[in-house]
Amino acid sequence: NVEAAESQKVITWKSQSHWPMASSSYRDSLVAVAERIKERTNGRLVIEPHPGGALVPGPQVFTAVKQGMLPIGVTSSAYDLAEVPIFNVVAGLPLNFAAEWEGVYFHQWMGFEQMVKDYMLENHDMLFFTDKIYTTELSLKKPVRTFEDFKGLKLRSSGILQKYLTSIGAAASMIPGGDIYAALASGMMDGAHWGAVQGSYSMKFYEISKYHLRPALNVAATDIWLVNKKAFDKLPEDLQEILVSTLEEHFWLRTNQYIYLESLVLSKIQREDNVTLITLPPEEYAKMQKAALKIWDDVAALSPECEEAVEMVKEFNRKMGRID
Amino acid sequence: MRVLLKVIACIDAFNDRLGRILSYAVLLMFLVVLSEVIRRYVFNAPTVWGTELTQLTFGVYSILAGGYLLRWGGHVNVDILYNRFSTRTKAFIDILTSVLFFLFCGMMLIYGSILAKNSIAIWEHSVSAWGPPLWPVKLMIPFGAFLLLLQGVAKLIRDILTLAGADVKEGS
Amino acid sequence: MSIELLTILFFSTLIIFLLLGLPLAFVLGGVSVVFLYFTWGPEAFYMVVLQSWGVMNKFTLVAIPLFVFMAMILERSGTANDLYDMMYLWFGRLRGGLAIGTVVICAIFAAMCGISGAAVVSMGTIALPSMLKRDYDKLIAVGCINAGGGWGILIPPSIIMILYSLITGESVGRLFAGGVFPGLLMLVLVSVYIAVRCYFQPELGPPLPVEERGDWLRKFRSLKAVILPVMIVIMVMGSIVMGIATPTEAAGMGVLGAIISGLVYRQLTRSLIVEAGIRTFRLTGMIMWILFGAYCFTAAYQGMGASRLIESLMQYVPGGPWGTIVFIQVVVFLLAMVLDPMGIMMICVPVFLPVVLSYGFDPVWFGILFIINMEIGYMTPPFGFNLFYMKAIVPPSITMGDVYRSIIPFVIVQLVGMALVMIFPEIALWLPDLFFD
Ligand code: NA
Ligand code: NA
Repeated sequence: NVEAAESQKVITWKSQSHWPMASSSYRDSLVAVAERIKERTNGRLVIEPHPGGALVPGPQVFTAVKQGMLPIGVTSSAYDLAEVPIFNVVAGLPLNFAAEWEGVYFHQWMGFEQMVKDYMLENHDMLFFTDKIYTTELSLKKPVRTFEDFKGLKLRSSGILQKYLTSIGAAASMIPGGDIYAALASGMMDGAHWGAVQGSYSMKFYEISKYHLRPALNVAATDIWLVNKKAFDKLPEDLQEILVSTLEEHFWLRTNQYIYLESLVLSKIQREDNVTLITLPPEEYAKMQKAALKIWDDVAALSPECEEAVEMVKEFNRKMGRID
Repeated sequence: MRVLLKVIACIDAFNDRLGRILSYAVLLMFLVVLSEVIRRYVFNAPTVWGTELTQLTFGVYSILAGGYLLRWGGHVNVDILYNRFSTRTKAFIDILTSVLFFLFCGMMLIYGSILAKNSIAIWEHSVSAWGPPLWPVKLMIPFGAFLLLLQGVAKLIRDILTLAGADVKEGS
Repeated sequence: MSIELLTILFFSTLIIFLLLGLPLAFVLGGVSVVFLYFTWGPEAFYMVVLQSWGVMNKFTLVAIPLFVFMAMILERSGTANDLYDMMYLWFGRLRGGLAIGTVVICAIFAAMCGISGAAVVSMGTIALPSMLKRDYDKLIAVGCINAGGGWGILIPPSIIMILYSLITGESVGRLFAGGVFPGLLMLVLVSVYIAVRCYFQPELGPPLPVEERGDWLRKFRSLKAVILPVMIVIMVMGSIVMGIATPTEAAGMGVLGAIISGLVYRQLTRSLIVEAGIRTFRLTGMIMWILFGAYCFTAAYQGMGASRLIESLMQYVPGGPWGTIVFIQVVVFLLAMVLDPMGIMMICVPVFLPVVLSYGFDPVWFGILFIINMEIGYMTPPFGFNLFYMKAIVPPSITMGDVYRSIIPFVIVQLVGMALVMIFPEIALWLPDLFFD
């Protein structure tokens, strides 16, 4: 009887993403997963979604989940590099991969994701899942055709990519998200990255910036799901299974959907906003990647896990014949 | 009683001194913002630290202002009803409502300390390209809450003394 | 407990403690802590610190100390006073002329600054002593600054518009363009109100006595008082438009301008800087601690399920496109009396916008209406941010009751303005359509 009552009990989990309401990922990831889980548990596990800033500021989701304030949350691994050095690799080394499938392979077949899962469980009492693999790409007001064209380009960037772009001669500065549009419009900036095509589109960059640049600055699983271990342990076993399998399945669904949406929006902005897609040739890509190796080595020096992960990235690129 | 007055005077003086020093930070913020604008526009060479240094200075400036403000009665309130009360009634009401004050301030202090402790445990640095240490800034949260709490205690003592019939001047 | 009942309990606790005279910052923070405990549990207390840390990290708020510092220097160096002398000489015949001049300066300031708190505190510092000194009625003086200070979020640049665009995905450029004419409309309406009111009640905004009205020579000489303020405006707005600085950094250009004018006036002493610095510290700290509390309060309310309340309220919509719009505006106006604008936006916009769009209304137009509503909400009791900011800078002879009373006519006038934008959407949409289509 107690068991029967237990199996009928509705468990409500508050959750929050770092995405604002307008971001398509809020709907397509957080809300979508919440709905799937509700359906699959017959309403026994209700995940209550909140957008970035509603309960805690976007960058504080990690802390909120770790401290047990939120049982589950979605955040960007780039916010918590200090606390979890391996997130430097999760958030994406500059010029690490040339296409989404490479990032997927690295995570799921080469065992990188399992390595992070183990690390997070052991050191931070949290279950770790990636949301999707996606690219970070620049949208620009001026065309860039060669590696040398980055010199003196005024770019809005942040974190490790800001370091990278500075190291190849760009004038990269960090200005807050809300100021970017005005900075592009006034000519203070020549370009910015905010995700790739969909991100830039949602920030209205293409109203001003008429060039979209590839290759990607990185290919990574920057957005991550975190689940508090204590809260997880309190779930009945069947709910635990549904939660884990739904999140793991979500990675594949969402990555594929995201790639589709990138192509869709790219074709839309090419037609409607007269945006030109520039794809740098392989020899320019090689120069860009070579310039990034120094930063890879800096990350490798951070911890044993980082060293191992960077070696895996290098190994992949060696096999592709890109680096020595 | 004399000891109490002395304690109050010490708290007042401490927050006062600190506030006067902190008030210069606005000049620092101004100079950093200006130099960042000049470096970027004139020399096309923005710094990696300009925006963040301003931001961190601003954060510390704000969180440490709480105690100084309370010492000078600078936290605004609604005085429509309040002003009609006598000095002693005011003291009595302030003692009652200080429960909310201490709850808020106490949570800031306790959880700010946890935040700072976790930050110090990893000697946290910012994840930006500049990467300055963040733990001293986070440490300012419990410190700011502590300063405010001290000043709140001073105010509570004043209110209790006032209620007991002593003539204690506020904010002097 | 239902969210309806919780809401009533939550807000009445807020209002009771406000009336008992506890400072706003602590009421917001304290009430949040109590309600977090009962509706969420002690693990939620961490939020208090996380939200405060979030506020400490908002770069756009750096504009507050910079603009306030600028205003302090302008006031103490005599720049502001000379500007008012000039206005008095030129427009002294016009009853209420200084108040109209003040709202014009407010509109210009709004175009330099995206945060209304900075505008109210700065304009209050510059304009209020100048008007009181020239025997203007305190209610007119305080009211017009409160109204004009609110335009900071309506006339671009505007932080609230950026937030609206982040929530809805609308273009920031279109929103910025959409705010221009409604802002000018408010300026005209408020000016007309002041002119008419003072025409019939000259004691509210006394004209310059005939014997003090200068000749043309004096008038033209006085014009040099505009040179420095105009230079500052050009420095701030110019650096935004020319791509030299972000709107936030442009505040630093304002300080530079104020320092230059202090040097021209030969008043830039060490003691002036020190005193301006301390007053800036106090006002910025006051605003920031209110924000620490307000962010907790809003987050606590969201945690209780605020959006569920708004969703269930939508069942009572009277129906029809205009019925819906009016109903929404009423709900927002009521919420604005007790909640901070950022919070209202986060709670309401996601629920309201789909309904508004389904009726075929323009989202930019709706955003502008929403922002006008917010702007009026900033100055409606019991909890209009601008009222508190104003209270912090007025002389002790002006009480919170005066501040509350002063805004009544200005709220009514701006409600008329809002109705006009509602009836004639072109006021908001003409400029964005011109630029972006
Ligand atoms: Na503005
Ligand atoms: Na209000």
